[in-house]
Amino acid sequence: MKKNKAMIFWFSLPAVLSLLIMFVYPVFRTVLMSFFQVESVTATTADWTFYGLGNYLKIFKSASFLISMRNMLMIWFVGGIITLALAMLMAVVVTSGIRGKKFFRAAIYLPNIISAVALATMWIQYIFNYDYGMLNEIVQLFGGDKVKWLGTDLKFWAMTGSFIFGSVGYYMLIYISGIEGIPQDLYEAATIDGAGKVSQFTRITLPLLKGVIKTSITFWSINTTTFFLWTKMFSPIDTESSTIVPVIYLYDMVFGGKGITTRDAGAGAAVGVVLTLIIIAVYLVTEKLFKGNDLEY
Amino acid sequence: MKMKKLTSLLLASVMVLSMLAGCGNKADAPNSEPPASNPPASQPADDNKEPAPAGKEYDGVTLTMWSMWSSGEPQANVISEAAAAFEEKTGAKVNIEFKGRDVNKVLAASLEAKDNIDIIEDDYKRIGTVYQDFTMDLTDMAKAAGYEEFSYQCFTDQSIAWCGFLNAITEQPNVGGIFYDKDAFEKAGITAEPKTWAEFLDVCQKLKDAGVGPLAQDSAYCDFAFYHTLVRYLGEDKIEELTLNGGWSGTAAEQAAQDIIDLRNSGFLADGAPDEFPSSQNKIGFEQAAMVICADYVTAEVNGNTGREINWGLFNYPTVEGGADNGAAYMGANSLAITSYSENGQAAFDFIMFLTTGEMGQKLADQAHQIPADSRNTAPADLTGTIETLKAAQSPMTWCASLSVNADLKDTIKSMCTELFEGKYADGAAFCAAMDALYK
Repeated sequence: MKKNKAMIFWFSLPAVLSLLIMFVYPVFRTVLMSFFQVESVTATTADWTFYGLGNYLKIFKSASFLISMRNMLMIWFVGGIITLALAMLMAVVVTSGIRGKKFFRAAIYLPNIISAVALATMWIQYIFNYDYGMLNEIVQLFGGDKVKWLGTDLKFWAMTGSFIFGSVGYYMLIYISGIEGIPQDLYEAATIDGAGKVSQFTRITLPLLKGVIKTSITFWSINTTTFFLWTKMFSPIDTESSTIVPVIYLYDMVFGGKGITTRDAGAGAAVGVVLTLIIIAVYLVTEKLFKGNDLEY
Repeated sequence: MKMKKLTSLLLASVMVLSMLAGCGNKADAPNSEPPASNPPASQPADDNKEPAPAGKEYDGVTLTMWSMWSSGEPQANVISEAAAAFEEKTGAKVNIEFKGRDVNKVLAASLEAKDNIDIIEDDYKRIGTVYQDFTMDLTDMAKAAGYEEFSYQCFTDQSIAWCGFLNAITEQPNVGGIFYDKDAFEKAGITAEPKTWAEFLDVCQKLKDAGVGPLAQDSAYCDFAFYHTLVRYLGEDKIEELTLNGGWSGTAAEQAAQDIIDLRNSGFLADGAPDEFPSSQNKIGFEQAAMVICADYVTAEVNGNTGREINWGLFNYPTVEGGADNGAAYMGANSLAITSYSENGQAAFDFIMFLTTGEMGQKLADQAHQIPADSRNTAPADLTGTIETLKAAQSPMTWCASLSVNADLKDTIKSMCTELFEGKYADGAAFCAAMDALYK
C-alpha cells in the first residue's frame, strides 16, 4: 500500500506538538533557567540574570542539599537492595507453584492500591506510635523498653521501611511477569539433569531476568529521585533534615517553606537538572552492567 | 478517497486547535497596571460584570477569592455562607475557590501571571512580603470603615512595616504561649500561673508529683518551644544574626539550651516527648500531660482529637533572669488581601469586612474555634483573654523567623532543636558548639 506522507504528517502533528509544548519546552526552559538568577518560576526571561554555574555551586555548597542527596542515595541503595531482593524472593515463591498463589500475589500487591497517604498514616499512628504502636507492643512483650521509632535517630529508617513496604508488591509483579515468560521446559530439563532449586534460580531465572532487573532498577531510580510524599507525611509541619530529599529541597527553594519567604527558582531548576542527570547516569550504568541481554527463549 | 482525506485533515485540525485553545491565556486577564487608587465600587468592570437589574449596590459585580481552606472545613463553610449572604445583600457574586493550605505554593506565580483573582487568603507575613507588589493599598478604605477601632494594631503595624502600607486585613488572629489544662493545675494544687522560669519549674514539679506529665512536646514544634527560650535570652534580632553567621558559643544561647536540658533531665516532659505530632499534645486530652507550647489552634486540635472539652488556660512563656526580651509573645494571623489589579477593590473590601466583622466574624470565631478578627466580638470560652492580649500587644514575636533565615541550615537547625529535647547534648555549651560546627 502506498504510504500517504501528508496523512502521516497530519496524524502525528498533535502528538508531536504535545510533546514539544508539554515536554521539550519545559525541559529546555528548566535547563536554561538553571544558569540564571531567577526568583519566581513564572518570571519572564527579561527578569533573568545570567549566573553561569552559580546555582550549581550554591546547591552543592548547601548543607541541606547535601543532606538531602545523602538521604536519597541511602533510600536508593539500601532501600533498593531490600525492595528488589524482597520483590524477587516473593516473585519466585509465588511462581513456584505454592498453594494460594493468587491470594499471596494479591496480598503482597495490596499496599500499592492503598493511597500512600493512608499507608503512611497507618505506619506513623499505628505501627511506630510510641505509646500504642504495634512495634512497641511487641518490644514490650519481650520485656524491652519502648523505642522512639520516630525520633531523630530512627525516623529516616522508619520512613524508608514504610516506603519499602509500599513498593515491594509493584516490583514483585514486574518480576512475576518476567518469570512467567521463561519456558517451563528449561526448568524441567534442569530438574532431570539434577539441578536443585537454588541452581535453577541462579543459572536459569536470574540470567533470563537480566532485562527485567535492568528495567526495575531504572524504575526504582526514578521512584527514589522523585521521592516526595513520604517525606511530607513523616515531616507534617515543616521539613526536617532526617527526612529531607532533593525534591523537597527543590520544592522549598522554588515556592518557599514555612517561615521562608525567599524563593530561588534558578537554584530549584539546577536541582532538577542534577536529578535528571542522576537518572540518566543510573540508566547508562545499568545498561553497561547488564550488557549482552541476548539470551533468547 | 478525497472525502476521507478531508475528514482526516479536519479531525487533525480540530485536535490541534482544541489543544492550543486549552493552552491559551485567559481572555479575561485583567490589565497589568495596578490602580493608583481604589476604584469606585460602582465603576463597571468590562469582563467581570454581567448585565443585571439595578437596585443593589454591587449588582453585576463578580469577585473571585482564592481561599487557603479546603471545602468542608469550618472556615470554608462560614466563608461560603458569608458569600451567599453578601450576594443577597449587595448583589455581588463571590466565587470562592478553596485551594487548601498549599495555596501559598501557587499564589505567587498566579499573582505574577495576573490570574483572575480579587481576594487572596494566606499568612499575613507572606502577604506583607512575598505578595506585596501584587496587593492593593487598603489604607483609605480601612480608614473609611473605622478598621482601627476594632482591629488589632500589632498586625496593622507589622503589615505596614513589611510593605509600607496596609495590605492585609486580619481574618484569623493567632496568639501563642503555654496552653494548659486548668483542671490539671487545680488537681496539682497550683493556684497561680507561673511568671518566671523558676515558678514554671515549680509548677512542673507539682504536676509531676500529682502524676501528670507536665509538658507535652511534639517534635514538629521543638524549634518553636526552644525559640521562646532563645528569644527570652537573646531577642529575635540577635538570634537572626547568630543564625546567619554562627557564633552561638559563649552567648546566652548556652543558658537557653541548658534550661531545656535541665527541663528534660528533671522529667518535666510528658512520657515519650518529643513525640510525633500530634501524639504528645493529645496527651493533654488523655490527662497524661498538662501544658503545651503552641498557638491557640492547639486547643481545638486537642479537643477534636481526643473528644474531651478541656478547660484551657493560657499564660505567656516565663521570663528568665537577665533576659533580653522577657515580654515577647507569638502573634500571627491568616489574613485577606485584595489584588492590586482587581477592578472591584471596594466591593472586595466590603466583602472582607462583611466576613471578618459583626455576625459573620462571630460565626467564624465560633465555628472555626478561633480568636475573633473583630475585637468587638466574643472569643470562644477556652480562648478567653486572647482578645485583650492581642489588643495590648506591641510587637509580635514571629514563628521561628529568626531561626529560619538561613535557608541552607534551617532544616538542620530544626532537627537539632528536636535533638535538644531528646537529650542528645550533654549541656548547653555542647549544643552551641554543635550549632557553630554547622558554619565551618
